[in-house]
Amino acid sequence: MSRVAAASIAWSQCGGADCVRLSGLAAGLGGLAAGPSDLAARPGVEVRPELGVVAGGFPAMAGRLVRDGDDVCFVPRFPFVDGTRYTIAVGGATAAVLTRPRPQPPATTEVLAIYPTAAKVPRNLLRFYIWFSAPMSEGYAAGHVRLVDAASNEPLTGAVLPGGSELWSADRRRLTILLDPARIKRGLTAQRQAGYPLRRGAPFRVVVDDGFRDALGRALRGAAERGYAVGADERRRVDPGAWTVLAPSGGTREPLEVEFGRPLDQGLLARCLHVTGPDGQPVAGGAEPGPGERSWRLTPGQPWAPGGHRLVVDPVLEDLAGNSVSRVFDRDLARPEDRPGPDQPVTVAFRPR
Amino acid sequence: MSEYGLRPGSADVQSAGPITFGPAGILFLADNGSATVFAVDVADPGRAAGPEPFDLADVDARIGSYLGCESGDVDIRDMAVHPVSHAVYLSVQRGRGDAGQAVLVRIGVPDGTVTDVPLDQVPVAQTAIGDAPAADDQRQDVTLPTGDQGEEITYGGRTIRILRRPIRTSTVTDMAYVDGDPGALLVAGLSNEEFSSRLRRIPFPFGDDVTGNSLEIFHVSHGKWETAAPIRTFVPYDHGASILASYTCTPVVHFPLAGLAPGSKVVGRTVAELGSMNQPLDMVSFADEGEEYLLVANSSHGLIKIACRDIDGQAALTTPQEPVGVPRETKDLEGITRLANLNGGYVLALQVDGDGRRHLRSLKSASL
Repeated sequence: MSRVAAASIAWSQCGGADCVRLSGLAAGLGGLAAGPSDLAARPGVEVRPELGVVAGGFPAMAGRLVRDGDDVCFVPRFPFVDGTRYTIAVGGATAAVLTRPRPQPPATTEVLAIYPTAAKVPRNLLRFYIWFSAPMSEGYAAGHVRLVDAASNEPLTGAVLPGGSELWSADRRRLTILLDPARIKRGLTAQRQAGYPLRRGAPFRVVVDDGFRDALGRALRGAAERGYAVGADERRRVDPGAWTVLAPSGGTREPLEVEFGRPLDQGLLARCLHVTGPDGQPVAGGAEPGPGERSWRLTPGQPWAPGGHRLVVDPVLEDLAGNSVSRVFDRDLARPEDRPGPDQPVTVAFRPR
Repeated sequence: MSEYGLRPGSADVQSAGPITFGPAGILFLADNGSATVFAVDVADPGRAAGPEPFDLADVDARIGSYLGCESGDVDIRDMAVHPVSHAVYLSVQRGRGDAGQAVLVRIGVPDGTVTDVPLDQVPVAQTAIGDAPAADDQRQDVTLPTGDQGEEITYGGRTIRILRRPIRTSTVTDMAYVDGDPGALLVAGLSNEEFSSRLRRIPFPFGDDVTGNSLEIFHVSHGKWETAAPIRTFVPYDHGASILASYTCTPVVHFPLAGLAPGSKVVGRTVAELGSMNQPLDMVSFADEGEEYLLVANSSHGLIKIACRDIDGQAALTTPQEPVGVPRETKDLEGITRLANLNGGYVLALQVDGDGRRHLRSLKSASL
């Protein structure tokens, strides 16, 4: 194909879509019908992103050519990417290289909370939750969330479950970080070779740096961190029968307080507990975990009715080490107390005073 | 396709997840944004392919060129090979954040042409994969939608539109289809809350209820510790009668699948360990001279080959020592992240090299 010159090539809009506009090219290409045209049938204009490897025989960017007056517009099937350089070839020769602008909006997103909030965690701690103030981008967790030794400031290498899928809430505002279970479960080769991710008596910090990008590609307003002391292993099932239930006064809206005796998982706590009244119906109200997720309180919407109430516990409720009501995280088959617990909801009866 | 319950519609995948082929050229796609599995008739245009190998260098850059983005914006999340044309299907996430987009890419065999497979106005069926919040889980993230999504609520004389989305989600880590009457799609997942080991067995064509049809898979390490853990990758073998699964915590575990009632608790047998600082990535089964073998791709070592008959003859591991488990060969093939059967003679591997470039490479079954 003979080379066809275009007067100018620039970013533009065509029919409301982003495009590359080649001014005055329509006549030169000759015979290009007005309106959409299959790019494959018109190889005269090709767009490619600049790649880090030599692009021998790589396919052109998917899209279509549209005639707009004397101009020809390349409208891509997939949007141009901010900050990416594109080569526009006409008749097989490079005619222009254009870079999509990358807007730099101010950073407004921040870390709202890091759970657990307990000051001390068991050595076999299983997970963290990180809450952000806005939806986030995937693909940054491995590089921008780390555990560091509080004394040396060195990263705890291999502490976090590597690679694979990031675990987000549906709106990508809550990220779940798992410590490597292969190093927590007893008896596994990984556990014997590399040891626990945490060391008892060695404080550490969880650090989220500001390179973590939100869903609009913006950095965080600042880094966030939370420090922890490390205590003994926790290997007991969660036992609602051992909880302290502080019954409220009947006829009032005093909160029901439940003390667990150890911190429980904040994510599960929010869905695994509810209260039913004497009529068996759920008691509506505002529920929240207490300091360090060691307790939970329910403030009813209506005054407490007289009569028997029940705290209903979903048996999937876990503590910080992944022990639940129904099972311990790794069961020692020789220990009778490690036998599985109930796999149906457990109830704890109480009666307003 | 109506025999499989597929109807014209769209597979609106938000976040690219695992893919696998089922019967009649139907592709299953997991959407890890909406916790949905779609079954799509991809209407592959290719002819029946032969037994030749297929290699393609810089597959990520080629896809980036076609999709108009840099290689770093091409996240290849899974790979499947069409059973007739041997075309390579890749589940790709293009870009990140709000600009991110799930794309199903097809690589033609043998010509290496790159195209994207349309997912709207195609025969499709779908099923939710259960971690739909329980009826008593009232927790929702409430946001203000930009479009007409969500629901209208009125308070204080004002009506606003809100979008409720569950906090609890399940990420599909692997899928496989096993023939039968009906056939079944096996789905392994990772919850963002509880540490569970559920393997869902979803009959296909999709029915109404999948919640009861799941198995809790436990495994015993060294005869001393019993654990439940999320399955990272698995492969059915022996015509779907057995499963070999590998976990986030690295043991490779065998358990039977045939004859298991829904809701069963299954205790699998640990037959190997991958070792420390290592993650299972993918598994595939292949046959050579009438014997069935399994390949395990992992993050730290070369490809591991295991003979199925050795699994059946292997006693459960009771002593934590290295090397442990079934006889196995570690191949001098590193950087392999995905595996699929290309044809009877070759296994297709997605391999990342020392510079981070990704290539498709055929591995001759007889030479493995």
